[in-house]
Amino acid sequence: MSDRKAELEKKKAKLQAIREEKERRRREKEQRDAEEAALRTPNPDKDQKKVDEMLSSLGIAPVSDVLSSLSSVPTIGSSDVSSSTATPDSSLLPTQPQTGRKKPAQLQVVSVQSTSIPPKETVTYTKQTQTTHTSNERDGYCEDWFRPRKAQAFGYYDEYNLNPGLEWEDEFTVLTYDDPQAEDDSLPSLLDGGGGFGSKLPPGILPHGLPKVKEMEPAVTTVEPETKKDVKTIRELSEDEKMMIILSEDFQRFVDRSGRIMERALSEAVDICTDYTGTADADDVGDERLNGKLVVSRWFSDERWSKTRCVTSLDWSPQYPELLVASYHTSHESAHDPDGVCLVWNTKFKKTTPEYVFHCQSIVLTATFAKFHPNLILGGTYSGQVMLWDNRVQKRTPIQRTPLSATAHTHPVYCMRVVGTQNAHNLISISTDGRLCSWSLDMLSQPQETLELQQRQSKAIAVTSLDFPHNDVNNFVFGSEEGTVYSACRHGTKAGVTDPYLGHQAPVTDINTHKVQGPVDYSHLFLTSSFDWSVKLWNMKESRPVYSWEEGCDYVYGVSWSPVHPAVFASVDGDGRLALWNLNQDAEIPSASTVVEGAPALNRVSFTPTGSHVTVGDDSGKIYLYDVGERFSQPRHDEWNKLLVTLQEMKNNQADEEVSSPASGPSSLSSFVSR
Amino acid sequence: MATEVDDTLKRIQAHKGVVGTIVITGDGVPIKSTLDNTTTVQYTALLTQLCDRARTAVRDLDPTNDLTFLRLRSKKNEIMIAPDKEFVLIVIQAPAE
Repeated sequence: MSDRKAELEKKKAKLQAIREEKERRRREKEQRDAEEAALRTPNPDKDQKKVDEMLSSLGIAPVSDVLSSLSSVPTIGSSDVSSSTATPDSSLLPTQPQTGRKKPAQLQVVSVQSTSIPPKETVTYTKQTQTTHTSNERDGYCEDWFRPRKAQAFGYYDEYNLNPGLEWEDEFTVLTYDDPQAEDDSLPSLLDGGGGFGSKLPPGILPHGLPKVKEMEPAVTTVEPETKKDVKTIRELSEDEKMMIILSEDFQRFVDRSGRIMERALSEAVDICTDYTGTADADDVGDERLNGKLVVSRWFSDERWSKTRCVTSLDWSPQYPELLVASYHTSHESAHDPDGVCLVWNTKFKKTTPEYVFHCQSIVLTATFAKFHPNLILGGTYSGQVMLWDNRVQKRTPIQRTPLSATAHTHPVYCMRVVGTQNAHNLISISTDGRLCSWSLDMLSQPQETLELQQRQSKAIAVTSLDFPHNDVNNFVFGSEEGTVYSACRHGTKAGVTDPYLGHQAPVTDINTHKVQGPVDYSHLFLTSSFDWSVKLWNMKESRPVYSWEEGCDYVYGVSWSPVHPAVFASVDGDGRLALWNLNQDAEIPSASTVVEGAPALNRVSFTPTGSHVTVGDDSGKIYLYDVGERFSQPRHDEWNKLLVTLQEMKNNQADEEVSSPASGPSSLSSFVSR
Repeated sequence: MATEVDDTLKRIQAHKGVVGTIVITGDGVPIKSTLDNTTTVQYTALLTQLCDRARTAVRDLDPTNDLTFLRLRSKKNEIMIAPDKEFVLIVIQAPAE
């Protein structure tokens, strides 16, 4: 027990000693403050000796030395004290007059002040740093982590800082290694660090050479090696590393995405710096449009993927009306490339490359957007498989395909449609052996249902083209190789072929139903084109064509109704002629017609969803985009009724023709020739 | 796949008026460039900083936002920067005559 008591006593004594030590240090500090202040008082000589004594007792050089070492000795009068605010230690000003006046009361007064100083100090400190190091500070905040430190570190050296410890604790803990007294308590170390203000003092005042300044420097210099390192790493990337990055999937995805954006940006021809105060060129293209002439606005072709490949189908994305998917036939020139190609083109941005490239091993005969899935593209192939591509996946080959088995198609699929609603839709595909398959896009491993399309003698029909009337998922019409057009239905008691439409003498190349909604419903109308050089207009209720246009002199490969104007349709033929018809304007001859440059055989035609452009695909892989005049793309509200009259006239003419068939033929022909 | 990368870059480079194409990492290390070394390093160093600043600005204004494209139009040319998570694509284009 007594040992313990003694131990306690010892500890108490030690504590006491530490406290005293603390007290002593504080006083020292205050004294030094006072002495600092005294340096600037009008008559420092008075106190000089006392101060010197005190200082020497602390192991600090006498004030006289300091004064001599100071470049400019402050010999200013007391009235000039205020002017000394320019010096960095203006923070000490409040203490000056008092210390100057009352020497004996020094200790007490200062001790009181010492409690009041710190808050003042911090305030003035920040103010000073802001004024003297504005640029540094500002930069520092925006810069990397090390910059503010650096700036403050410099500020610290320049500045007279009485209370620096708090922010710089980490730095001063470094000092404790060299300061044996500081080891037993953290406060002394702080105070010693507070002695950091001593570092502000001229060199002569640091007699025992505490390594404070030296120690602090590394804190600043540590920053520089790091920046140097950064610079080094920038240089260090070797060829192998570069190759590694280039081959990484992330990089490829990046290039794919950024490249696309960049190309769009590059091909944007709009000059935002246009100055209209200069001379302007007259724009005469608008007149041509009003006149209803067809003007090529642009064309799509890809050197590698579409050249020498015949365009087999065109389809527009319902979600992004500027996107056009085109499927291409095989190319005889590039034997190494895949047979089937699908390209997605963008009509909005003026970039000349396809948005997406998809391919597969079999010729794609028809391609369509998956209607309710903006990312999916479907392709019917020569092998009978239906391919499914996804533009979210970083690959060009199909992500899914239907099986090549007896349950599905084993013959070429020339036509497909996605029908239904968002929640219940199917892909309908028909192959040339007359088999119709309906698929769920979620499961392409087997068709949901199949239907054999047969003639009366259970002979399979070679289907070449298919279309559904607007908003109908059950009934549809299709063209066949022998020239007959049929209507059929998928469900019901009489699922299968319902009616034949006789008229064409050669394979039907395209079929298109009327889809414009308006006051009068024309969804029973459809157009067909055929190798027999004719385009025929049909009514689903009649087995004979409503009208037949036979003035062409080549195979007619494609026909398409306008999506906005009830009486407008377009047709393309093997001569490179694109014809635009407006039945309300002229039922017998095209309202506008043009021959594509070079007269390539045109295989497909399709209006843009807005009806203001028409695209045609030729046999060499080029797709032309034509501007359609306002007359064709902006129907007046009476067009529907006018069409009714036109159709009635056609019917009357038909009746007349049956009476005297040889007479009317040449007349319509002559009217065409005279044009 | 590497050829696709090359194709894309070649296509961009082939665009009318394109002076140079540089691909750099997010840290500002050039991976691919059609310019000579010194120019590349200079552009990279300066544009990385600019891009970082721009991104900071965008993100400071709205933390959920991010910089997607930076188009810098100057008297003599136009610099287009497409920053991504890890890489940055820079294209320098002379103005169309």
